[in-house]
Amino acid sequence: MPATLGLVWLADPATERTASTRCPAAANRASVPWVEATDALLTARLAAGDDRALADAFDRLGPAVYGAALRVLGEWNAAQDVAQDVFVELWSHPDRYDPAAGSLRTYLTVLARRRAIDVVRSELRRIARQERNHRLTPPPGVASPSDEVEAAEAAGVVRAAVRLLPDSQREVVELAYFGGLSYREVALAIGIPEGTAKSRLRLALARLESVLDRQLLEMS
Amino acid sequence: MTTGPHEHVTPPAGLRERVLEASLRARLAGHTVPPVPRISPDEAFSRAADAFYGLLCALDEPAWRLHVLRDLDVQGLAGHLIGVEEDVQRALSGHPAPDHQDHVTSTQPAADRQAGRAAAATRTDWRRAADRTLAVVRGADMAAEVTVWGIPLPLSALLVARAFELWTHENDIRRVAGLPASVPDVPTLRLMTELATSMLPFGAMLAGLQGPVNLRLVLTGPGGGTWDVVIGGDAPEPVAIGIVTDVVDFCRLAANRLDPADLDMHVTGDRSRAAGVLAAASALALD
Repeated sequence: MPATLGLVWLADPATERTASTRCPAAANRASVPWVEATDALLTARLAAGDDRALADAFDRLGPAVYGAALRVLGEWNAAQDVAQDVFVELWSHPDRYDPAAGSLRTYLTVLARRRAIDVVRSELRRIARQERNHRLTPPPGVASPSDEVEAAEAAGVVRAAVRLLPDSQREVVELAYFGGLSYREVALAIGIPEGTAKSRLRLALARLESVLDRQLLEMS
Repeated sequence: MTTGPHEHVTPPAGLRERVLEASLRARLAGHTVPPVPRISPDEAFSRAADAFYGLLCALDEPAWRLHVLRDLDVQGLAGHLIGVEEDVQRALSGHPAPDHQDHVTSTQPAADRQAGRAAAATRTDWRRAADRTLAVVRGADMAAEVTVWGIPLPLSALLVARAFELWTHENDIRRVAGLPASVPDVPTLRLMTELATSMLPFGAMLAGLQGPVNLRLVLTGPGGGTWDVVIGGDAPEPVAIGIVTDVVDFCRLAANRLDPADLDMHVTGDRSRAAGVLAAASALALD
C-alpha cells in the first residue's frame, strides 16, 4: 500500500516513548492487560458490528433463551421462532441492553419470555376469534370433518384452560375474548374499575400461559 | 412442562445457523449501532482544526508558555503546526519541501519564529494557515496523490492524518494545561480509525512483526467498528487473533500517546502476537 506508507512522517521522534517500548522484541514481552469478557464488552462488540460476538452470545446464552421460550410455549418450533427473534433484536439493537440494569442473561430470558407470552396471547385471540365466528356465523356449506375436529379441539383446549381460572379472572376473559368487549365495557359490565379489569385479565393470561400445553400451538 | 425458571435447554440443531443468518439479514456484519454518518476528509480536518483553535482561544497567556514536547511550548507547537500547513500547501501547489527534510526539521523555523510574539498573533496566524489549507482542499479530488516530505499519499489520507495530528496535539496541550482530554466527534473518529486500521500492515512492517496474522480488530464505542486485517504478508497458515479495545484508546495508541502495555483490551488467540499488533499500531505514530 505505497500510497499510505508515507504517514510515518507524522511520527514525532522527540515524543516517542522509550526505545524499549518501540522495540518489537520488547513489545512482545510486554504484559497485555486482560479485560474479562463481560456482558458490557459483549454488547459493545455487537454494537461495533462484530458478528463473532453474536455467535458468542448465542453459544453462551442460546440454551437459556431457548429454554425460557420453550417453558412458556411448550412447543419446539414456536420456541425456536422466539429465540430467533430475541437474538435478532439483540443484534439489531444492542444498545437497548443496559448492563447496569442486570445481566445479559436476565435481559434476554425476560425478553424471550415476553415474546413467548405475546405468542400465547396472539394464539388465544386467534382461537377466541374462531370461537366467536363459529358461534355467530353459520358454517358456509359443509365443513370438512377434519376442520370440524380441529375447531372442536381448539375450542375444547381453550375452554378447559379458562375453566381452571378463578371465577373473577374467568369472568373477564369470557367477556373480553369470547364476548369481544373492551376493557371499559368489561369493567362496566361487572361493575369494577377499568384498571381492575385490566389487571384481572393480565393475571388470567399469565395463568393461561402456564396451563396451556403444547396442544394449543400444535393445532394452530 | 416441568422446566424450572433457570433451565437451559440445548437448542435444536440448525437453530444457531438460523439465528445468525436472520440476524445478519437484519444488520450486516461490520455495520455499527448506531450508524456513523459519513463526512468528507476535508470536513474531518476542518472539525479538528476548529477544535484545536477553540482550545487555543481558551488558553490564557501564561498557558502559552507551558512546555509541551521536544523544546516546544504551546506557542512553539502552534508555530510547528503553522509550518506543517505551509509545507502541505506547498505540496498541494506542486512545490513540496525538499524530500530529505522530515516534518520536524522542515517546520522548526516556523516554530522558532513564534518566540516573543503575542499569543493572539500566533493563534491568528495558525487559524489563517489552516484556513488556507482548507480553501485549497475544499472540493478537491480526494483521490489525488499529494507528495509531502517525499511521501506520496492520497489527499483523503493526508487530511485524515492531519485531523489525527491536530487532535493529538490538542490533547498534548490539554494534558500540560491540566484540562480534560477531548474526543473527536464520531464521524471524524470513524475516519481516523479507518485510516489507522488500514495502515496496520505498514505499522507491522515498521515494528518488525514476525509472521502473518489474521486480525479481527473490534474497536468499541462511538466511531469504532470491526475490521479484518491481514498483517505480515500472505502465508498458508496465518495466526488468527482477535483484539477488542476502546476506539479512543486505540487512536491514542496509534498516535503514540498510549503505551501498548497500558491498553485495556480483550484478546483471543496468541497474546504475544497480539502484543506485536499493538506495537505495530503504536509504530504508526499518527501524531
